[in-house]
Amino acid sequence: MTLPAKHSPTESDSELLAAIGGGDRRALEQLYLSYHRRLARFLSRFTPRYENVEEIINDTFMVVWQSAKDFRRASLVSTWIFGIAYRTALKSLRRQKNHNAAHRLDDVPEQIVDPATETEVQDWLVRGLARLPLEQRLTLELAYQMGHSLEEIAAITDAPLGTVKARMFHAREKLRTFLPSLGGTVVGNEN
Amino acid sequence: MTDEGHKHPRITELLPWYLNGTIGELDRQRVDAHLQGCLACREELEIERRIHAAMSAESSVQYMPAASLKRLQAAIGELKSGNAREERPAELARRMPWKGLAAASIALLALGVAFSTADRWAAARKPPAYHTVTTTMQRPADEVIRAVFSPTITLGDLQAILDEAQLRIVSGPTEAGVFSLAATSHRPVSSSLALLRRHPSVRFAESTQLTVQADASRSSAPSPSGEPP
Repeated sequence: MTLPAKHSPTESDSELLAAIGGGDRRALEQLYLSYHRRLARFLSRFTPRYENVEEIINDTFMVVWQSAKDFRRASLVSTWIFGIAYRTALKSLRRQKNHNAAHRLDDVPEQIVDPATETEVQDWLVRGLARLPLEQRLTLELAYQMGHSLEEIAAITDAPLGTVKARMFHAREKLRTFLPSLGGTVVGNEN
Repeated sequence: MTDEGHKHPRITELLPWYLNGTIGELDRQRVDAHLQGCLACREELEIERRIHAAMSAESSVQYMPAASLKRLQAAIGELKSGNAREERPAELARRMPWKGLAAASIALLALGVAFSTADRWAAARKPPAYHTVTTTMQRPADEVIRAVFSPTITLGDLQAILDEAQLRIVSGPTEAGVFSLAATSHRPVSSSLALLRRHPSVRFAESTQLTVQADASRSSAPSPSGEPP
């Protein structure tokens, strides 16, 4: 599974990053605008607060600005940027007072998930996602919504392939209990 | 997963990437071949497809990157000027080592003058402890309301309020957190405004149409003194 993600970088991403490494602010602006929507969508799974999402995106791009010259093309540009955003978001989450008690990431308590599309059709998804540990939820998001490959997700989350597969497996297991039947009723329950 | 699906974990674990199109060609061929002869895994695929479709649904929340980008650029500007301030003395010393003593003498003289004006300078430089919600920036043509929301409002709540008031964000937030809102229907602006003002997460809401009308009527009305207003 080595094909690039559906939103994945084109050659222009690499060119923009090289220009940013040389101090080109216009290039930074272009890269920022091209990634903002994707990152915002991804980060809204971390935190439902609008200003937190914007802050994490800006912190991410501050790192991009300062580290672009060190990018060695060991991964795709999108993988690199999402990895920075992922780690920045985790740091931000850990700083939050109400998450201080969580010792391990998978122990993070249920989150109030952004009901991105609050329609009846999406209710089961919102309820199901809210009950997933953070890293399982993000793995789902990276695969389904962002279109990243297994290897890219492993690189972004700095986790072994087996861990990514296990997170995905458990996330799907849990989520499917909320999946409505074809008749429109929920197959499982919340317990 | 169904019990049958569990029998073929090596296939079912690949389904998310089979569906998102990033699976490798060899794996894709393996899954294709397996699916042809396995009903359980085809059912698994159907369930996966529904989860994938729900997860891929576009968010209705609108993000406005322009204001955030401006803040990032300002932060980078501050970073650069900070670096420049730190580097300047060292760079100066490298280029003009023989001028060090002279510079020190001048600096001592200058110090006395500097102290006398430092307080006034600092006062002038101190940022105000408040934000205004007015701006000299050009407003969007379709803006009807300007609003400030609670900093802790969630994306879902923000979108729900806007949906109920039949409004959409056209720009913002500004540095003071002000959003420009446009109407999405023919609902009277006063009605949307009333709804916003009732909501506890709305800190401030004002119709710009009323402001524009008031400004227009003030500018068109003759002043009592006969002078221009």
